[in-house]
Amino acid sequence: MDKIYFIAKKELLTYFKSPVAYITLVLSISVFNVFFFLIIDQNREVSLRDVFHVMEFMFLFLVPIMTMRLFSEEKASGTMEFLMTAPVTNTAIVLGKYLGVLVFFSILISLTFIYFAIIEFFGTPDRLTIASGYLGVWLEGAFFIAVGMMTSSWTRNQIVAAMISYVILFLLYFLINFSKYFSGTAETLIQYMSTLTHLEHFIVGVITLGDLVYYLSGIFICIVLTRLSIENRMLQ
Amino acid sequence: MIITKNISKHFGSFQALSDVSFEINKGEIVGFLGKNGAGKTTLMRILTSFLPASSGTVLIDGDDVAKHSLTTRQKIGYLPETPPLYLNMTVKDYLKFAAEIKGIPAKNRRRQFDRVMAECQLEHMAGKTIATLSKGYKQRVGIAQAIIHDPKLLILDEPTSGLDPIQNLQVRNLIKNLKDQRTVIISTHILSEIEHIAQRVLMIKSGEVIIDESLDSLMKSHTIDESSDKGSGQSRAMNLEDIFIHHHSELESNNKSSTLVNDHG
Repeated sequence: MDKIYFIAKKELLTYFKSPVAYITLVLSISVFNVFFFLIIDQNREVSLRDVFHVMEFMFLFLVPIMTMRLFSEEKASGTMEFLMTAPVTNTAIVLGKYLGVLVFFSILISLTFIYFAIIEFFGTPDRLTIASGYLGVWLEGAFFIAVGMMTSSWTRNQIVAAMISYVILFLLYFLINFSKYFSGTAETLIQYMSTLTHLEHFIVGVITLGDLVYYLSGIFICIVLTRLSIENRMLQ
Repeated sequence: MIITKNISKHFGSFQALSDVSFEINKGEIVGFLGKNGAGKTTLMRILTSFLPASSGTVLIDGDDVAKHSLTTRQKIGYLPETPPLYLNMTVKDYLKFAAEIKGIPAKNRRRQFDRVMAECQLEHMAGKTIATLSKGYKQRVGIAQAIIHDPKLLILDEPTSGLDPIQNLQVRNLIKNLKDQRTVIISTHILSEIEHIAQRVLMIKSGEVIIDESLDSLMKSHTIDESSDKGSGQSRAMNLEDIFIHHHSELESNNKSSTLVNDHG
């Protein structure tokens, strides 16, 4: 457990030692602020429903930038050899890195809590629905991060890692649009695979076991595949 | 300390190591010699459990590196050919991280950190970002991470590669000071370095060990006949460079006009 914490701490330190972390935070919050203002101004309702949709769409673009360096940089710079010859398990390396980005992502999400404070000040929002929406957005981000980390473990080129992440995440996001061309089991499967379907439930305040299983199993599969990938020395 | 039995490694159809067996005793300083691509780095990576062997076993203090890799990794300090440095970290943060993941208990970390900073003469560099350091200092930081957990076995892959003569001498002196109480395996192209540091030479050619003997006996067993009239009796002991070139025969005709004589045929 200690080593997972040390690796996560080092990841966070690395983020904040580079301008990428600050640019990501400032840019994201600026865009969220603009959309928050526009949505509240147009909808005139004490809800963050549409803000969550914007956040989800933004994370499609942001997360691969956050995750692309995770393993690609270690491979390109030779520090992968340092990590993998240290007395630390491959699982701890993967979980430590994942945790580091997840904490950074959580900091980003927590900066948007001000929106809840604002609508709470001016109205009486449904707190549970907003909490459920935040849980959904956080889980979706956690899933995206796991996908991004996995693709980063496949290549030593950060740009290639980000591009593969975009392909996978866009596919998951827009998959629902293709369900109308299918029927029966295929249609159900496509709907289940799409991230939009699941987040929608959280945003309206419905937390189902199926949605939780979708995100958690997605994260688990990506973590396992990342571990397998770093163990495969042909990919070093 | 180290026993390797019939180690082979292939990458697809390429045979990088073939049936390599040797033993290294505690406290020995062994130099791995060989041309680029001979298999030295692959062998070092197998010893550190970074790469699995295709066949054969490596035992470190009786533990199989494939089965008990966490135990064996704890005993090894490894400096790869490219120092594994996080360039945007400070020397202090990097070595602190190295101490943490190498499992040094919290109460001992400060002491070990101070020790390696002194041993590698990095005291005045603690707050510097690694990216801003000279190549010589980067190499020292790389060595510092390798010894921070006070390993019994030190594996150094070309530790002086690319350094200028002064930096080279500084790193060589540092390694000389480190070898006390430790088993050291060092791979380098600078053959004079092996002559200064190592007690034993393991020469690898095309993935096979072609020489495994002490430096003294290797030198004694190779002589060079310098007269144009072969067999006139005017011979001198070969240096390691002569021996290296002699055993990589394709270079011999280009580089030596003298006749080489040795016990290995």
